[in-house]
Formats: sequence, structure tokens, C-alpha cells
Amino acid sequence: MGVVEGALIYSNLLALLALGLTLTYMTTAVPNFAQGSFAVFGSYIALTLLRLFGIHPYKSLPIAFVLGGLLGAGSYLLILKPLIRRGANVVTLMIATLALDLILLGFRGIYAGILGKITRQPCEMFMFSYLVKPVFGVPDILLVSSLVIVLTLLGLFFLLYKTKFGIALRASVENPMLSEIMGVDVEKTRLFSWFLSGALASMAGVLLPFKQEIVPATAELVIVSIFASSIVGGLSSIAGAILGGYIVGMSESLITYYLSVVTGNAGLLVYGKVVSLVIIVVTLLVAPRGLAGIRWRKVIRWRSGR
Amino acid sequence: MEIWSLITNILLWFGLYVIVSLSLNVEYGYCGIPNFGKALSVIVGAVVAGGLMTRILMVAMGVHGDIITGSSAVSGEVTTLVKSNPLYGIVLFLVYIILALIIGAVVGAVFILPSARLKEDYLAITLLAIAETFTMVCYYNPVIVGSYYGVSVPNLFAFIPASVRYQTIVGIILITAFVVYIVLERIVESPYGRLLRGVRENEDVMKAYGRNVMNIRIKTMALGSGIAAIAGVLLTFYTLRVQPDSFMNYGRTFWTFFPFLIILLGGAGNNRGVVLGSLIFATLWELVDFYKDNIVSALHLPVEAVWLEYILFGVLMLLILFYKPEGLIPEKPIVTEPIKRKKS
Repeated sequence: MGVVEGALIYSNLLALLALGLTLTYMTTAVPNFAQGSFAVFGSYIALTLLRLFGIHPYKSLPIAFVLGGLLGAGSYLLILKPLIRRGANVVTLMIATLALDLILLGFRGIYAGILGKITRQPCEMFMFSYLVKPVFGVPDILLVSSLVIVLTLLGLFFLLYKTKFGIALRASVENPMLSEIMGVDVEKTRLFSWFLSGALASMAGVLLPFKQEIVPATAELVIVSIFASSIVGGLSSIAGAILGGYIVGMSESLITYYLSVVTGNAGLLVYGKVVSLVIIVVTLLVAPRGLAGIRWRKVIRWRSGR
Repeated sequence: MEIWSLITNILLWFGLYVIVSLSLNVEYGYCGIPNFGKALSVIVGAVVAGGLMTRILMVAMGVHGDIITGSSAVSGEVTTLVKSNPLYGIVLFLVYIILALIIGAVVGAVFILPSARLKEDYLAITLLAIAETFTMVCYYNPVIVGSYYGVSVPNLFAFIPASVRYQTIVGIILITAFVVYIVLERIVESPYGRLLRGVRENEDVMKAYGRNVMNIRIKTMALGSGIAAIAGVLLTFYTLRVQPDSFMNYGRTFWTFFPFLIILLGGAGNNRGVVLGSLIFATLWELVDFYKDNIVSALHLPVEAVWLEYILFGVLMLLILFYKPEGLIPEKPIVTEPIKRKKS
């Protein structure tokens, strides 16, 4: 797998994950610290289907979509909704998602042990990279991950701009109280956003082991990149999240690669998350509202005025 | 004497968690900073002990080479030195603690700089991201604390017989925890403590009274991180090693999530509650650990106890958030000297 190809695959997955995080932040106003665990949940669905039934991970994408969606919706219904009803503030909600992350980590550890016993293969760490086949001169994972993100965006665009439910959803993000008065069921839109967030993360998780090894700490590390992508995008803009995913994904891969070539030290390749962190810090210092918060017209006018 | 080892274990974690949770309580309970990167300051303490102090001792003792081999040479030499004269051990111990306090405070102040002006959610995300990234760098980079191999830390209490070494360390940790409690109780009862609560309750009012909120947050983080770094050093005196892979696997859960659990269990903004929370948590943790073989065999599953503990404590956190968000001992209203006089 070439460097640029790898970077593109990673960016595709990061865009999916950041999109999910941003969706739930827009409707529920809580950054979901369990988004990384949602993704690894999908990885384990793919692993189970592959090891037990020999189903290729690409074919398990729809199953992962549904199950991941149920996980997301369940998290909302069982944890966040009751807390919001009790009038919990944003910090309480964030702590609740941290707790959810820990619970999922515990179940993952137990499940990996059981699956390992059944299949007689270690399941704490795994990769699907041996399944990658070249198609038209590029690795098929690049095509599949691109296809997933394109279909997701088309579907989302159709849903948000061409259906009544989409209008209701956008209205409830814009002004929840007013849209409730107009007869929009805000609860339903929130539940839907959590379903979609879990489903997208789970699909990204199915494809993630093609690119990098899944280890017990994967969920905790990937969350840094997801947050970086969303923050670059402004944390409440769908287009921003997608763009942020590509900016962070490409910079993580390409900057570390460039530095490792220049310095001749291949050990630098593992420090991708440092790039993410720098991106977060720079964004917060220069444009805290991210790309979506910058008034581009003003910037262009200022540039041409010079 | 299994029961005694259970009790010393409980006291060990109780002491360490009192220090870390009290420091988090100043940041979160009093000042309202959701420090989701608390683990960073504990890890900084461990790095000061394993990385920085080892290097200083290597220079002082003329030991050459990289940190992994150098640390074992230094530990051996320091241990013999301390055996010959206990005073060296005590002085070195104080140097370790003071250095951790200073470096922890500096790191804490720098740590919050990018996000000090931001809202709670951005603040939490940034602090978590910084802590995770630093943990990862420690894990991969062999220069800091030896990456996969880890480094040794000298036994500064080698003059004490090996049979009671463990109990001595636990005693020192408990004394430190007590001192931290007294100091923090003085601080939060002072006008500065009331200022912190003011920032937590309403930033804008504090600004209107001419207070610099960003400045207060930076100072609070410096205080909290410095204290938590002491816990990191004390932990290395117990294990006598620094292993970055344990930062990676346990850092966030043990030193960010569990302190939050303790604070919410005991009662945020209330140091006595935090001490109670630490005691309950440490006891529960050790009991599960003590009976883990029975539990695992009762479940008929190939399960490691640590996963069960994660699920147990995750669910406990949710239950607290649902049913007792103010904790076991709720925060009391402030009673200043003039109010007391008026009442009597």
C-alpha cells in the first residue's frame, strides 16, 4: 500500500467517524468520548463474522451498520436521554460518555477472550491487511472506503435536504424549542442522530483493521484524531467534519512520512497523533470555531484588498 | 496473613487516590475545570522520577550510556549509598517530591494554555487529547523513560529492612495524603477557594468583579497538576519501575476516570467527601481483586478480572450520575468568619 493511498483510506475512515461525532454534537450538544469504542465495536463484528462464518469484512458492512446503529441508539436511550431529562449539564454528559467508553472496553476485553477461546486464535490484536487485493492497480480497500463515504454523503444529503424528516432535523438543530412548537419531535431527531453516528462509526471500524492493527488501546488513541477532525471543522458543521477528516488524516500520514524521509528516522512514523494534537491547538488558538466559523468572504476581501 | 496484605493494599490505593482525587477536586469540584487529562500529571510525576531524576543521578555519578541501562546502574549505586547512610535517602526523597511538584505545576499551567478561555466541552476535549498524545509519545519514544523496556527507580528506603519496605511506603503515602488534605483544605477555605467556586458558578460575574478567569484557571491547574505529580512519584517508589506500556493501557482509566468516579461518589467541591470516596473505591477495588478467582470461576467464563472491574465501575459511575449526582456528602454552603460571628 502506497503512502498516499494509505493516507486516503485513513482520511476516508476519519471523515466517517468525525461525521458521526459531529452529528451527535449538533443534536445533543455533547462530545461523545465513546466514539472510538463505537468504531472498534464494528471491527469486532467484522472479526467475528470472518473467523466464525468466513464472511469477508466488506460483506459485513451492512450488518455492522445496523448493529452499530443499535449500539448508538441504545446508548442514547439508556444513558443520555435519562440524564438530559434530569437536567444534567454538559460535563455530566461527557463523564457519562467516558463511563460508556469504559464499559464498552470491559465488554470488548471479555468478548475478545471468549472469541479467542472459540476460534483458538488471539483476538486482542488483529489486522485484515492480508485480505487486501489490488483492483485496477489500487488496493480495493481504497475503492471500498471511498464508496462508503460517497454513498453516506449522498444518502445524508438526500435525507437532510429532500425529505421532510431532514428539514425537521435541521430545524431542531437550528432551534430546538421553536421546532418543538412547530410540531417537530426533537427526541426522534436526536435518537436518529445517535443511530446514524453509531452506524457510521461501526462501518469505519469494519474497514479500520485493513489500515492499522486493532489493539486494546486503539479506541482511546483514535478518539484524538476524531476530535481533531471535528474541531477543525468547527464541531457543528457536517461539511466541516468531512473536510476536517481529510485535513487531519492526510496531515497525520503525510507529515510524519515526510519528516521520516527528511530525517531518515522511520521511528517518526508512529507520532501521527502529535500532528493531530498540533492541529487541535492551532485551530483553537487561531480560529476556535474551526473552518465553519471563519468568515470566508471577509478573508477573501481582505486578501484582494491587499 | 492474607487479610493484612489486603488491608495494606487498600491503604496504598486509598492514599494514592486521595492525593490525585483531591487535586482533581480543586480543579473540577471547586474551579469547574473538567480536567479529562488528569492522568497526564500523574504520568509526569512518574517521568520526573524515572526519566529526569535518573538522568540527573547519572550525571552526578558519572554513569554513561542510555537511560535503560543507566537507570539500573544508578538504582544499584543509590541503593548501596542509601544503605550506608539513610540521610541520603531522605534528602533524595525530598528532592524527588519537590522536583515533581515544580515540574508538575509547570506542565499543568502549560497544559491548559491553549484552551483556558474556551467552553467546558472544548476544554475537556483538548485536555484529554494532550494527555493521550503525551502518553503515546512516552510509549513509543525510548529516550524519555525507556519505551517498551521501562526504567528502574532506586529504592530510597533501602536502609529499612526488606520485610517492612512495603508497609513503610504505604505509611509515607498516607502521611503525604494527609499533608495534601490539610494544605488543600486551607486553600479552599481561604478567599482564593471562594474565588474558585465563583469561577465555577458564573464566569461572567467574576469577570465583572475584575477577576481574570484565565489566570485563575492556569493557577488552579498548576496547583492540581503539581500535587498529582507527587502521587506519580510515590507510585514509582512503590513499584521501583516506570513502565510506559502501563501508562498506555491503564493511564486514562486509572488516573482520569477513577478520580472522577471518586469525586462524584463522595461529593464534588467537598474534600471530606473525596476522602470517603477514595476509601470506598479502594476497598471495592481490592475486594474484587481479592475474590477475582472466585468470581471468574462462578461465571464460567474465560474472563480477566480487570474487564469486570471496568464494567462494574463504569456502571457505578452511571448510577451515581443518575441517582446521586451530588455525592454521598454534598457540598456545604460557605461560612466565612463574619457570617459565623453574626450567627453567634
